[in-house]
Amino acid sequence: MTVKALRAIPSGGKNGLGAFILQCKKLEFHYCDWAGSSKGMNGFIKSLLPRFAAANPQIEFSISPRPGKHPVLTGHYINGRTKPICVRNLSPYEILEKLELLRDASGEKLKRTNKAVTSTKPSVRGIWSPYHGKGMIV
Amino acid sequence: MKGIRPSRWGGQLLHARSSPATIPRRNFLASTVRCQSTVQEPAEDLIDQIPEEGETLPRKLPSPLPEKALQSAKLAALHSRLSLSKKIPLQTLARALVTPSADPNSSFNNANLAFLGSTIINYHVAEYITCKWPRLPMVIHYEALRAFSGPESLAQISRRWGVEAAAAPGEEVDPGLLQWTSNSGPLVGTRWGGYVRAETDRKHSFYRRGMSSRVVLDSDFGDAVDAGSVEDAHQHNHDTSFSSFVQAVVGAIYSHSGREAAKDFVESHILSRQVDLSSLFEFQLPTRELAMLCAREGFEPPLARLESETGRHSRTPVYVVGIYSGKEKLGEGNAPSLDYARRKACMNALKSWYLYSPGNKVRVPSDMMEEGAKPWKAPHIDIGEVI
Repeated sequence: MTVKALRAIPSGGKNGLGAFILQCKKLEFHYCDWAGSSKGMNGFIKSLLPRFAAANPQIEFSISPRPGKHPVLTGHYINGRTKPICVRNLSPYEILEKLELLRDASGEKLKRTNKAVTSTKPSVRGIWSPYHGKGMIV
Repeated sequence: MKGIRPSRWGGQLLHARSSPATIPRRNFLASTVRCQSTVQEPAEDLIDQIPEEGETLPRKLPSPLPEKALQSAKLAALHSRLSLSKKIPLQTLARALVTPSADPNSSFNNANLAFLGSTIINYHVAEYITCKWPRLPMVIHYEALRAFSGPESLAQISRRWGVEAAAAPGEEVDPGLLQWTSNSGPLVGTRWGGYVRAETDRKHSFYRRGMSSRVVLDSDFGDAVDAGSVEDAHQHNHDTSFSSFVQAVVGAIYSHSGREAAKDFVESHILSRQVDLSSLFEFQLPTRELAMLCAREGFEPPLARLESETGRHSRTPVYVVGIYSGKEKLGEGNAPSLDYARRKACMNALKSWYLYSPGNKVRVPSDMMEEGAKPWKAPHIDIGEVI
């Protein structure tokens, strides 16, 4: 038998190809009962958070007081990174926008994309080769 | 009257005890502290530690209680993140997270679910590989199977699901964390009849292990079951534990939601990964193998032709060699030397033979189990290796 096999583990799945896993796994809320910068956060926790948490059961929510500090939202992601956002003096609906940003993020550092498509497949058209064909006579 | 199974007579009645004074008396608490369900009959070997009279009951359990699963936010989030059906209870998912390395009691760990799941996963992956690439040699088939559903790949999948491990397993740990420890020695799948070859005890003698015996005797990936020769025991146990969660989830889906749901889950999470099979080949005699292939299939003998070259006298020449059988071009390769270019062309020709695929939408045998399936048309399966 002249064929032998090499061992290879696929480098990584493509999220959304087959199954989609939401990358945000935990959201942490910190608030202060006393400070004025937490006013919007406290209103958010009372009014908007229950509906948001019920609509996003894939995420674990944890709420804890942090007295004497500005309110903070932190997203924890599957790749191990976290994204904290300070939400001092924001209104509940502005906080909801920040929360949706955290929920929809992939957890990766933000990258500039300047190609329309990023693919792991080889190009359909192939790469031009100087060794094939007749060549161009100048 | 309570019936006693004949298989247990030997253990209960005929077994000579070392000292008659220490016959353990079953403490009623030991069986009531943790019970999976009300119908379970606690067998003698399933009770964790039967305390003798006078001893206090060890209150610390190796894994969280099943009823704690309903209070865990992590577990509910994981259940929802995997889009599992409501039919699968949180307690089952919690049990899937308890590995045998943390809790050896098989009424509470995931060993049985993981075994069930691994058979389902390996079946679906194997039928997919066989039908999609019908000419793969058996060694490549095994490695392709491992690339899809081997422990390393499944461990990677479970990490991409966001499964976190507990720092140390125990009763007080959140049931949404994977319970495993690497201190328990290498885990070997002998519980479910993994066959340990007799010659594994004799380390230094050489025994031939042919492909046919690997198919019959060895594990699903063609590896000999061997407890002693794990190089990196920590990594091995880590991969085994994380992959057992994926397998146990598939087993839980199968037992609660049925065959179709399990197949859909395997297809969407495991078969959807991109595996580059052309990177698995290692050829030793490609030219000879290609000549044998042409002889076997009745093609004209292969002939290498130089198609184009540049820089023959330079430091970096490039030769492009094509392999022809009659007028048909079988393959092409380019390399900085003539001989290597010919070998590469042969390898490309062989790869394009072995990696023939009837298309992306192949029918697999399990498609026939759906209701109203069209009649089965036997796929073409090649006889395999050339040499």
